[in-house]
Amino acid sequence: MAKIIVVTSGKGGVGKTTSAAAISTGLALRGKKTVVIDFDVGLRNLDLIMGCERRVVYDLVNVIQGEAGLNQALIRDKRVENLFILPASQTRDKDALTQEGVERILEQLKQDFDFILCDSPAGIERGAQLAMYFADEAIVVTNPEVSSVRDSDRILGLLGSKTRRAEQSLDPVKEHLLITRYNPSRVTSGDMLTLDDIREILSIDLLGLIPESEAVLRASNQGVPVTHDAASDAGQAYSDTVSRLLGEDMPLRFHEVQRKGLLNRMFGGGRR
Amino acid sequence: MSLNANSADIAFTFKGGMLPMTVMELSSADPEHIRSQLAGKLSQSPAFFQHTPVVLSVEKLDEPHLALERICAVCRDHKLLPVAVRGGAEPVRQSAWALGLGWFAPVEEGRSRLLESVDTTATPDDAIDEVEAADQEVVAVATRLFRGTVRSGQQVSASEGDLVVIGAVNAGAEVLAAGSIHVYGALRGRALAGIHGNTQAGIYCRELEAELLSVAGNYKRLEDIDSQLLGRAAEVHFAKEQLEIKPLG
Repeated sequence: MAKIIVVTSGKGGVGKTTSAAAISTGLALRGKKTVVIDFDVGLRNLDLIMGCERRVVYDLVNVIQGEAGLNQALIRDKRVENLFILPASQTRDKDALTQEGVERILEQLKQDFDFILCDSPAGIERGAQLAMYFADEAIVVTNPEVSSVRDSDRILGLLGSKTRRAEQSLDPVKEHLLITRYNPSRVTSGDMLTLDDIREILSIDLLGLIPESEAVLRASNQGVPVTHDAASDAGQAYSDTVSRLLGEDMPLRFHEVQRKGLLNRMFGGGRR
Repeated sequence: MSLNANSADIAFTFKGGMLPMTVMELSSADPEHIRSQLAGKLSQSPAFFQHTPVVLSVEKLDEPHLALERICAVCRDHKLLPVAVRGGAEPVRQSAWALGLGWFAPVEEGRSRLLESVDTTATPDDAIDEVEAADQEVVAVATRLFRGTVRSGQQVSASEGDLVVIGAVNAGAEVLAAGSIHVYGALRGRALAGIHGNTQAGIYCRELEAELLSVAGNYKRLEDIDSQLLGRAAEVHFAKEQLEIKPLG
């Protein structure tokens, strides 16, 4: 049975789409048949991050409104087998999404896929609520910063009350914390919240910690999910995250300031 | 002695009493204006509106004739029970009596900043999610027990007794109780105890970081709290006309 996972945060710009792209790529690389859906209708970005923006014909809204079939709208990823993208519409707004329409699409996708990732828009309005409504699990993306943590807290409240699992008193949505843009040296200097602060306030299990990295920006601009950049710290951190999502026990990395060894200092410390 | 000769025959005794009472100070005489504002407040703090007795104060109004009957009807529609009117000219007094309400003489300036002073400008109505109580509630003589984190935007209230939270109350969350509030965790949000005017209510928490503390409408903001007390276990009471915050244990 397919698992529906929403990638959400409340606050914008914290790395939801980057994370959705990286994690779905990671899942597909492990052989899981995965589809990632862009719920940010009106501001579509996922196709850019996934590097498939030139192949978009139909989108989520077209399928909901019956103007196209699901298979016509799904875009097959060029780099990984088993990975599909369902893009958002650029020209409509979020009112074009209906709960029945979303449910119908998810039910259909469940037949074929192992994982369905819903890339939520920022905010707590309709688009975000629909992205989370049918979720089995949630990845709450948070930056080490007070406003991001507070918005994540708000989203966690909604996950516990405004989802199908909550409304029908089923098992609650399984919540995972994903901390992105973590910069250990700025944490040490007090510019950023510490890992422990965030965990204490949000009190949910940590799924992963992604260090602030140039590799992420590079990946976004090139349209290649950072998971493909296996030499980079962020790529490895996302790979660890995917392993944990699949139930493996992985030690936490990249949360402490790295002491540079002699070779690193001589050769500039490798790629970041 | 002769009056109390046979105690079994006594139907009643008169006793003096000082009961906590909410004064609803009207600054508009327009029932519809009052209605629209009440509707907003009802959805913000449903716990407060439980057929709560109120005294309608019309001292600020400069109108000899009031649509008192309609104003009372609006109040009752929103589960407020007008019991008396304070102030106003002779016609107001007459119509209060005609409606079966008591009448109090106006008081002098410069008193009471009760319940009304609790911030009502905060979150818009729909931003508050009254947390579904059913599966998290254990009934123990009107004490409400909540297990878990009260998160930003959530409101948990105990409209009759005490509220016990086993977990943290995060920033942006609100906990309310007619009685006392006990938080076995960090209190980072707003805590309002004694919402029906019980000045004996208290607030107790493991770690004080509260945005707002209020007992019977007397409040302190985070900014007003001595920073020495922050981050520690603390208890809050109403004493000597103000909120007193002390370290706990």
